[in-house]
Amino acid sequence: MRYGGENRSRLLLITLIVTSLLLITLDLRGIGVIDGVRKGTQGAFAPIQNFGATITLPVRNFLSDVTQLGRKQSQIKKLQVENEALRLQLLDRASADAELEQLKSVLDLAGTAKFKVIAAKVISQGATTSFTQTITIDAGTKDGIRDNMTVISGLGLVGVVKIAYDNSSLVELASDPGFKIGARVAGTQQIGILSGQGTRKGVLQLLDNESTLKLGDVVLARGSQNNRPFVPGVPIGVVTAVDNAAGSVTQTADVRFFTSFSTLGVVSVVLAAPAGDPRDALVPQPPRPTPIPTVTVYPTPSESPKP
Amino acid sequence: MLLRRSLSSAPIFLGVYIFSEAFLSQLRIIGGGFPIFLIFALLWCALCEPEVGAIYGFFAGLLMDLSQSSSGPLGQWTLIMILAGFTVAYLGYGENNFRSNPVSLIFITAAAVFLTRFVYLISGALLGLELGSMTHIISLLIGQALWTVPIAPIIAPSVALLHRNVFDTRVVQ
Repeated sequence: MRYGGENRSRLLLITLIVTSLLLITLDLRGIGVIDGVRKGTQGAFAPIQNFGATITLPVRNFLSDVTQLGRKQSQIKKLQVENEALRLQLLDRASADAELEQLKSVLDLAGTAKFKVIAAKVISQGATTSFTQTITIDAGTKDGIRDNMTVISGLGLVGVVKIAYDNSSLVELASDPGFKIGARVAGTQQIGILSGQGTRKGVLQLLDNESTLKLGDVVLARGSQNNRPFVPGVPIGVVTAVDNAAGSVTQTADVRFFTSFSTLGVVSVVLAAPAGDPRDALVPQPPRPTPIPTVTVYPTPSESPKP
Repeated sequence: MLLRRSLSSAPIFLGVYIFSEAFLSQLRIIGGGFPIFLIFALLWCALCEPEVGAIYGFFAGLLMDLSQSSSGPLGQWTLIMILAGFTVAYLGYGENNFRSNPVSLIFITAAAVFLTRFVYLISGALLGLELGSMTHIISLLIGQALWTVPIAPIIAPSVALLHRNVFDTRVVQ
């Protein structure tokens, strides 16, 4: 049987297409009802996602283990070496005490910067139907979170709150292709704009063509007016490649983000920041070589057997 | 009749959508994972008549637009899914259809997943959305199309069964 009623079918198709075009137009014009529908859906969805995050945790961990099998192997080897080193360190009490002092002196990022933060659990990591890089966290407007607040991890910048719902918030990750942040280089204070590229690597474009970047330069957030969307001084990443092409108008560089976006579990949203700019105070300290303790063994002769 | 069928299939679509958004999106699967809702919707549409496929495409697209991670304006997925639903249903309709051949059905679905997402990407660019690095996008597009090849045959029998239950007309004398 051939398909009949072509006029009716054509009319239906046109009606549906016109409806969708109308929706696009209304949304692009910023009609509140459309926005409300999305917010309402997300509000209803947050508890289900929270539940989903809890029950998929074992599967997530398993997949993480499978995808990082090679790295796990090298990590095990590294840990075995570290374990041996720790065994030696334990022999020396003074060394252990020194290490304890070091541990005591470690402050987390937010504490150092005197940010007022709220911790939140990541309950969803984007969606497979989208090209955007987002996460959903289990804290929202009821916890004081508003749109355009900075989100950080223990290592540095994670992203910015895109939409705050009642009990959850959608966070645009710094790796998102649409993400842009005013950045400055620690030390030299050169400023530029850093854009996400969809991976853990971002691209920094300097505003001044006379500046030069070096490998290993640390890039920090420059901060926004009234600290929104970005509080100043948050570490973003480290320069891994510099484009020194002759004739380029401004210098660009690849920046590797400090935060590993694929393994985010808990993040903090900056609710308020102190009045002053922390400048370079949050720049991560370069790793210091750990002294290998020398163990001296004094042999003592055993008692000779008595005849 | 169509309204009754649409209402009875709404919980099925909603269930798959919730599974996709609340559970599957939690997992970081290599190659960008598989868009289960998109695969399901396209398989469903492929088993429908063209005009019914367009209607189901409309509702599936509307749900995809309501996703929190949808970056485009509301209606973008709707528009694309109407056309995708109509097209796959049209290809599966008539005498030379591919419905009777499972291999063709899987191949068409995988191609439709790739093309649908590609059109979404292009229309997003036309609407002024940021695209990001080309290699990342290409790897996502190809990765998800490849994922569709093993996933579609797994879920196709269930989709066909559900579709048959919804669309079987039983006249009680």
